[in-house]
Amino acid sequence: MKITIDREALVQSVQDVMKAVSSRTTIPILTGIKITATSQGVTLTGSDSDISIESFIPTEEEDKVLVEIAETGSIVLQARFFSEIVKKLPEKTIEIEVHPNFLTVIRSGKAEFNLNGLDAEEYPRLPQIEEENVFKIPTDLLKTIIRQTVFAVSTSETRPILTGVNWRIEDEELICTATDSHRLALRKAKIETENHQSHNVVIPGKSLNELSKILDDSNDPVNIVITANQILFKTKRLLFFSRLLDGNYPETSRLIPTDSKTDIIVNAKEFLQAIDRASLLAREGRNNVVKLTTLNDGIIEISSVSPEIGKVTEEIQSESIEGEELKISFSAKYMMDALKALDGTDIKISFTGAMRPFLLRPLHSDSMLQLILPVRTY
Amino acid sequence: MNVAMKWEQFERYQPAVVKMITKSLEKGRISHAYLFEGQRGTGKKAMSLLLAKSLFCLNRSGINPCNDCRNCRRIDSGNHPDVHVIEPDGQSVKKEQIEMLQQEFTKMAVESDRKLYIIEHADKMTTNAANSLLKFLEEPRPGTVAILITEQYHRMLETIISRCQVFSFKPIPPVLLANYLEEQQISPHIAFLAAHVTNNREEALKLSRDDWFAQARKIVLQLYETLKKNDLQALFFIHDQWLPHFQEKEQIDLGLDLLLYIYKDMLHIQLGQVDKIIYRDRLDDLRQWSLSCSQRQIVKSMEMILRAKARLNTTNMSVQLLMEQLILDLKK
Repeated sequence: MKITIDREALVQSVQDVMKAVSSRTTIPILTGIKITATSQGVTLTGSDSDISIESFIPTEEEDKVLVEIAETGSIVLQARFFSEIVKKLPEKTIEIEVHPNFLTVIRSGKAEFNLNGLDAEEYPRLPQIEEENVFKIPTDLLKTIIRQTVFAVSTSETRPILTGVNWRIEDEELICTATDSHRLALRKAKIETENHQSHNVVIPGKSLNELSKILDDSNDPVNIVITANQILFKTKRLLFFSRLLDGNYPETSRLIPTDSKTDIIVNAKEFLQAIDRASLLAREGRNNVVKLTTLNDGIIEISSVSPEIGKVTEEIQSESIEGEELKISFSAKYMMDALKALDGTDIKISFTGAMRPFLLRPLHSDSMLQLILPVRTY
Repeated sequence: MNVAMKWEQFERYQPAVVKMITKSLEKGRISHAYLFEGQRGTGKKAMSLLLAKSLFCLNRSGINPCNDCRNCRRIDSGNHPDVHVIEPDGQSVKKEQIEMLQQEFTKMAVESDRKLYIIEHADKMTTNAANSLLKFLEEPRPGTVAILITEQYHRMLETIISRCQVFSFKPIPPVLLANYLEEQQISPHIAFLAAHVTNNREEALKLSRDDWFAQARKIVLQLYETLKKNDLQALFFIHDQWLPHFQEKEQIDLGLDLLLYIYKDMLHIQLGQVDKIIYRDRLDDLRQWSLSCSQRQIVKSMEMILRAKARLNTTNMSVQLLMEQLILDLKK
């Protein structure tokens, strides 16, 4: 392999793929970045085996030559050193040449580095992409979907499958579900697909958090491909691969109550602030529990008692209360997480009794839903 | 590290194990967990890697891997993303290591639909680690294969053993190994000792050619001679000769083994089993020595050496203290 490459483009790409490279890995080859030169351009790959990021530098972009390929080929170079080296090289272009035994020479101006490379054949092979199974979501929507679901995944490894977000694709609709068995977040979105394939996969929450970090706020579409073992997100500059979780996601549709006994409509922001204040005292206590009581004339009382510290009560005016009177306790943290994830100014909360899970929904949309299990108090 | 490995190569040494594994490979009936149990150097690790390669190889001929495809090469270099080898981290296999493995296995395989993990020195798992693994062994996922390797079968948890298919690797008779070494131009007295220290042909050959080993033999014999004469002298000998020579833990362990063989030899002489003697060139000396102590004394001394060996491996006792105590005990 022998290439001459624009430094800025390379630095940018190396920075992108470095996000996937982990310093503590059990597979030695993954401490490196794979560089592949083909006649179309140069591909860089970084991976920690859970997620892999691929960045492509085309030979030319907007009439500017970025890469000159003298000889195609591939090599794996130690990520830690390579990223530092390219950042600090003096000239605008960098020459990379691979000699036999994977000895790699990096030249820029008068500076010359000799790095011992590794065999690119040893690098894990990423799944081949079949362009026909693609579906598209705008970047900003994808980011929102991730934000609205991923917080609810389980952090405990006792049920590993719950550490991921379930993505179901049926009839041009994407349904994302995350639960830690105390609460559940569900988000639906319309997507563009070319064929009507259905999928049911579980993506690790950690991977989605990482993905969310590298996505920008544009509304360019992200192409998504699901393969047997991995899911691929394809943006303009990057390919992001994540491994999928193994196992069956529990059936969650049965958990969501269909009828309700008490319906409350409140302003999300006011409600959130009231819960936040009430939890100031509850936070110290065992499980951060606040109590909600319906009063007359559409007034809701939020209260919390911690015997050693003190108590707090606050009344807020709701838009409307319909149905039976209610006293219910729940985790303030779960409630705040859910309220933060919901868009829209007014939300509707549907209760089916003090011992049954309740639902939070934006008033004018059914694309999103949050479910919380109450806490039993005496 | 090795030339193309094939199942036939192991057949001579481990006929029973090879037959069972090859049959299950032929029939495609791979168990979810194996326990390879046997002395050091009996080919457990090599065979576990061979099994991994047989399962992952891209162009397998019959049941033998090609040893040349991407997967085979990456299993050899430890770079295959679906094959995990866990070794003790320091003294033991830690809970975090097993947890990492568990997390790894909650996800789909990276490339294929199979996953395999090998745990070396599985007996060195901490109790916590073993219990974590147990949960993991209990609910195997399809396509997952575990291979546990141990030299100390009796230190494994019963509950783990009962969940694995156990293969016992037979030790290679030392005489066979010694003959092989002699064929390689190793002098008989070294060959015989090396054949007892390890069961692995390559390792025995390497040891025999190492000056360090010859020197170690000399020092151990000298130590015994000094010990016979005067205990105070022996303590100085430990300081001047033994400690500088045996530095690493494995080296000390080996040194204690060499010392143990002297007592073993004396016992064999007293029992009239001269053909089992290890230090053959010192037969006359051994005869002389064995006259001066009773069987009971020899057995007691052996017990002390074994206890010192156990202490060396299970505690962090200072080596100097350990040796001094042993010398004083042996002198009693």
